[in-house]
Amino acid sequence: MFFHVNATMPRQKSGIEHAELKRFKLLNGHGVDSRVILRDWDPNVHYNANDAGISDDQLINMFDYFQEATHVSAKKLHVGDLDFGVLHTKNEWEAGHNRYLVTTRSGQLVARVNVDATDDQRVVSTELFDGFNNLYRVDQYDRRGFVSLSQWYTPDNKIGTETWQTPSGRTVIESFNRANAVGETNKSGWRLTDKQGKVWQFDSIELLTLHFFDCLNDDFWSDDEPNIFVLDRGHLGDWGLLHLKRPAYVVMHLHNSHAGDAQDPMHSVLNNHYEFSMNALDEYDAVVSATHKQTQDVIARFHPKTELFTIPVGVVPNSQLQAPRVPVKDRTFGKVVAFARIAWEKHLDDLVRAVGIVHQTVPEVSLDLYGYADSSDNYKARRAVEAAIKDYHLEDVVSMKGYTTDVGKVEDSAMMYGLTSRMEGFNLAIMEAISHGLISFTYDVNYGPNEIVEDGVNGNVVPYENVQALADAMLKVLQDPDLAQRYSTGAYESAERYSDANVWAAWQRLIADAQHKWPTKLAALPNHQEVQD
Amino acid sequence: MNYFVSENIFAFNSGTEHSQAKRTRLFNKMGANAKYVTRDYNRFLARDAVALGLDHTQVLNMYDFFQGRTDTVRVEQPLRLLKQIPLDQYHIVSDNPNYSVIQHAGVPIARVNVMPATVGLVGDISYYDRFGNTTVRENWDWRGFKSSIDYFHPDGQLGVRKILNAAGDTVIEITHMNVDGKLQATMWKLLNYKGHNFRFNTEDQLFLFFLNEQLMTDPESLVISDRRSLDYVVADVTAVHNKWAYLHDIHIVDEKEPLKGRLFEAYVPVLESRAKDFAGVFVATEAQKQDIKRRFPKLTVVVAPDTVVEQPRLDEGVPAASSEAHHILWVGRLSPERRPEEALKAFATVIKNVPDATLEFRGYPVSATYLTELKQLADKLGVTEHVTFDEYVTGDALAKRYKNAAVLLQTASGEGFGMTVTEGFSYGVPAVAYDVRYGLKEQIRDGENGFLVHDGSTSILAARLTEILTNDAFRQTMRQAAFDTAQTYGEATVFKAWQQAFGS
Repeated sequence: MFFHVNATMPRQKSGIEHAELKRFKLLNGHGVDSRVILRDWDPNVHYNANDAGISDDQLINMFDYFQEATHVSAKKLHVGDLDFGVLHTKNEWEAGHNRYLVTTRSGQLVARVNVDATDDQRVVSTELFDGFNNLYRVDQYDRRGFVSLSQWYTPDNKIGTETWQTPSGRTVIESFNRANAVGETNKSGWRLTDKQGKVWQFDSIELLTLHFFDCLNDDFWSDDEPNIFVLDRGHLGDWGLLHLKRPAYVVMHLHNSHAGDAQDPMHSVLNNHYEFSMNALDEYDAVVSATHKQTQDVIARFHPKTELFTIPVGVVPNSQLQAPRVPVKDRTFGKVVAFARIAWEKHLDDLVRAVGIVHQTVPEVSLDLYGYADSSDNYKARRAVEAAIKDYHLEDVVSMKGYTTDVGKVEDSAMMYGLTSRMEGFNLAIMEAISHGLISFTYDVNYGPNEIVEDGVNGNVVPYENVQALADAMLKVLQDPDLAQRYSTGAYESAERYSDANVWAAWQRLIADAQHKWPTKLAALPNHQEVQD
Repeated sequence: MNYFVSENIFAFNSGTEHSQAKRTRLFNKMGANAKYVTRDYNRFLARDAVALGLDHTQVLNMYDFFQGRTDTVRVEQPLRLLKQIPLDQYHIVSDNPNYSVIQHAGVPIARVNVMPATVGLVGDISYYDRFGNTTVRENWDWRGFKSSIDYFHPDGQLGVRKILNAAGDTVIEITHMNVDGKLQATMWKLLNYKGHNFRFNTEDQLFLFFLNEQLMTDPESLVISDRRSLDYVVADVTAVHNKWAYLHDIHIVDEKEPLKGRLFEAYVPVLESRAKDFAGVFVATEAQKQDIKRRFPKLTVVVAPDTVVEQPRLDEGVPAASSEAHHILWVGRLSPERRPEEALKAFATVIKNVPDATLEFRGYPVSATYLTELKQLADKLGVTEHVTFDEYVTGDALAKRYKNAAVLLQTASGEGFGMTVTEGFSYGVPAVAYDVRYGLKEQIRDGENGFLVHDGSTSILAARLTEILTNDAFRQTMRQAAFDTAQTYGEATVFKAWQQAFGS
């Protein structure tokens, strides 16, 4: 079985989730069954995963797995469905808090019932009180309508023991919050009662997760082929997956620069997320990077003996590759777009400056920014963009459009795409841009933009943080219609690198490597018998 | 069905439990179904009930009922055969017979305490976190199953106890939180009982619910409340009307003031505040009945036997005379109202005339301090060499003690009924006691099967004891008389008395 390992599948996905979902769909499309493995507890995990196109049959959440809740038919619980064990209670709605207060006939508080007001007042959690007005427990409901997590409170109103139940109410996982020798409260242990009634004790969630991986490896064991674990977030198993009881094919997937300063890949301090895995590189069966450039940089710095694979995390669908091409003359002249969160690492104020310089020569230029503004440091990134607009008097030239789902339509009518990030892991947006024939301009930034954009083929790669060079490149295209059409055509054609067939072929190489190594791994097992016909 | 309601059956029981157990056995033997009903959660109930001669069909415990465990028979569960321990990952290290440690890679992760008085059976398992705190305790029933799970507050005090059914589902949650800054059990929550949850603030509220649930199916039942602490609960029972209370003890603080003296607090509900909720009360003696009737004329008071001597004992006749002719036996709880000090003082005089006399106390002390005080007193009186304080025993072990004794000494300040006196009689042991209300006056016929001595006179007590110890012929006569008295407490007689009691 092929496992995609992640923490959860939130509604607002980062690039990692998008990359994982594309891989999941690619495998499904080629008839290769796989499972999305989500480690973290999340009451909405099924709802969100289903929404992202993952059916319950292909989803395994660790908590669900032990809670025997991988397949539960959803039932929407309302306050009236709850049984507090007290007769003649009264429910009073507190609008400001999105909750009901449940009281006895004499007015004593029995529970607070928190609901999702946007979802038909579905019960989300209950805060339960005893007959002496103590909050003794908070029950967290799975979105499918059962108590999933109970948090038992201490007399000083803190969470003590936490317990996870099956939908029928049997406790299977417990975790504890206790003081250590110097009085600091920490998660101090996990206890698991499995389906066979065996009781396990773990010091940390990492050890519980390792046990979970071992269970998966057993459940899906086959002498014919290895289980393939693709680890999309290092902290979930960069150590654990190296300590499986029985062999598997373990893949470390890089989704970002392995170097803390992506522009100094040889010498900078390692990206903390990958520090462990980079130091344990040869213990993985394979390491995947999304770009050749990153693969080369990993080789240059670490000289690994393990297999390195370059597999793009983006796939341009065949429908887009075969779609009618829009000639430059039919596009809005001078329209630059960018699809990115307005955030510090995206450095979009530089893009505004470049457009500002262009505007002095070509007044028809305009820039539309699509994406949420990051709220960090009181919207510092957006304030920087606004300051740049003011500096160059671009109030009528630059628009912040917010988030859109109509990307294709926007890109089919714009002319150019700009990227001025400080660092990248791949950048799906600029891949999508070239597939729509947008002429792309980017800083020479690791990793992704400086590979997706091929200088002189589908746009230009200019020196990192050189605003003037970026403006010059844009000006050159705006002043030369033939060059513009040549780059646009080059963009459409360069998108072929990310075709379904090409990305699938790259994964097939990895799967073939796993298959190739399997007999050796099996042979290394003590007392392993070759299966005879 | 007859339900005799109590708190518990203990490892060390008082006369109340013994009386109740004897009655339960008698009724069932005579074909009148009876159950000894208990409230408390007790993992050792099955063992302790057997010690009182009761099997599982004769005992009904509230928690057992909700756990669906009333018919579960004992299957020994050795800790080393415990399926829940993954032995391909963990080691069990047993350095002593009382507990074993479960280790993972040399680190202790749990401790398995051996079930008391067994070899290697599971008693309870405490799991540890990485800081060494106990996080979960799993409690095993004597019958060999996991009965409950405890979680703890950060300071190590019990946080919640989950009572489990056979499937491992929680049927009752007992939550412990603060009330006025003091940790206590604050909630009993019955889960998914007949499809609903029920929350109770006290264990007695749950017990009332349980009694009504049980009795609803059998509204013609007779209920006897044997424990004063539960009278108010039985009073609240609505499912049956034939509710009685058995008064095992003297109801007044000062036995010399039966009409005006202060009532023991525990007797107020059944005699005064909740009296109308009972069909009546049973007492062991006509004298106590008369005293209560005179004081509470509206009450129905009926005399009914507080003990029974089982037929096999009577069939054996008077045992051969004791080899230890000068051995005095004192049986009962070592507590101030039983005044073991009086026995020591009288005995100090006895040994002046009977130098080889010995005194044996049999019973559990109310506290270790109290036992120490008694031992110090024995020391002070210079009788330590002649006195033993021995553990509480029942059944055959106790029978052996009676067979060894020349005389039974009873020093209580007041008794509803002296059960040990009748028990002694059945082994041909005469009794010497103070002449106090109520039972002893009726049981002991002065000069025939023993002596009644003016209350508080240790010198006369000593004289009477000496007389029995030193006059062999007289003692033989008394032995027969004692046994004859015991015969009036035979099964058929007692059951007939109960039938008459119900008829009244």
